[in-house]
Amino acid sequence: MAKRIVSVTTQTPTATADTTALVDATYPFLIQGGTSTQRSNILEVYLGGQAGASSPTFMLLSRDSTIAVTNSNGTGQTDASLDAATAALAAPALTGNTNTTKPQRSATLHLLNLSFNAFGGIVRWVAAPGEEITVVGNTASLGEISLSAFTGGTAGLLGAHLIYESF
Amino acid sequence: MKSKRSHEGYLLIDHRAGDGINSIPSAGLDQLPPVPGGSMLERSIITCSHCQAGVIVNPLRMRDRGWCPNCDHYICDSCEAVRVKTGVCRTFKQVIDEALNLAAKGLDTKGLLTNG
Repeated sequence: MAKRIVSVTTQTPTATADTTALVDATYPFLIQGGTSTQRSNILEVYLGGQAGASSPTFMLLSRDSTIAVTNSNGTGQTDASLDAATAALAAPALTGNTNTTKPQRSATLHLLNLSFNAFGGIVRWVAAPGEEITVVGNTASLGEISLSAFTGGTAGLLGAHLIYESF
Repeated sequence: MKSKRSHEGYLLIDHRAGDGINSIPSAGLDQLPPVPGGSMLERSIITCSHCQAGVIVNPLRMRDRGWCPNCDHYICDSCEAVRVKTGVCRTFKQVIDEALNLAAKGLDTKGLLTNG
């Protein structure tokens, strides 16, 4: 078990409709199981607004109906262990926002509506112990969850992090 | 002994330092309450035991909140409608177990989430 944090320092997400390919580096991140049987729990999601003007930003944490292939971390994106002594997993969960086959947000499996105004706004979700959101395996639709902007509003500059624990 | 409130997570939307939002599209989820500029919203949020969607607890809600007596957890209104109609409790933990079993046999897990 290893708690890790994936974060993006600064990014303006692009509002994207459901079941539409998420373009590289236009959404904070996704998390995908490292193997067909790996399970990861999402413990916390945080978004902090960095926009210089009013920017209603409709962020969704959602399962993906099409999963990313050949996934890697984009600019300003990091994935680090929370504990300095964490041992590396043999097959860690994949995080990133740059891929060859683009992920698509499911139209029916939205999990959290994290809408906020990126002009000075903050939104933070924390799961109760035992009530975490789960990613299992690495196939659609259980095996990947993404944080991305839904259509509407004017998505603004933001920074974000997501804390997860892989088993 | 666990209480119902021990299942509640935490949601913060803080607009004290800037403009807020007065209208948010539901995007297939519960409509978020407006959080205008200069204000902050702190709410309990529950994770549906059957589908893992987050449901913001409305403290002014008068009608019953979805609760599955079988798995002893909160569930969302959509899953509560299914539970009442069919009487079936299929928790997400069961779905995960089924997914892991199928994956171990090299079979496809796509059909496990019927609306996915």
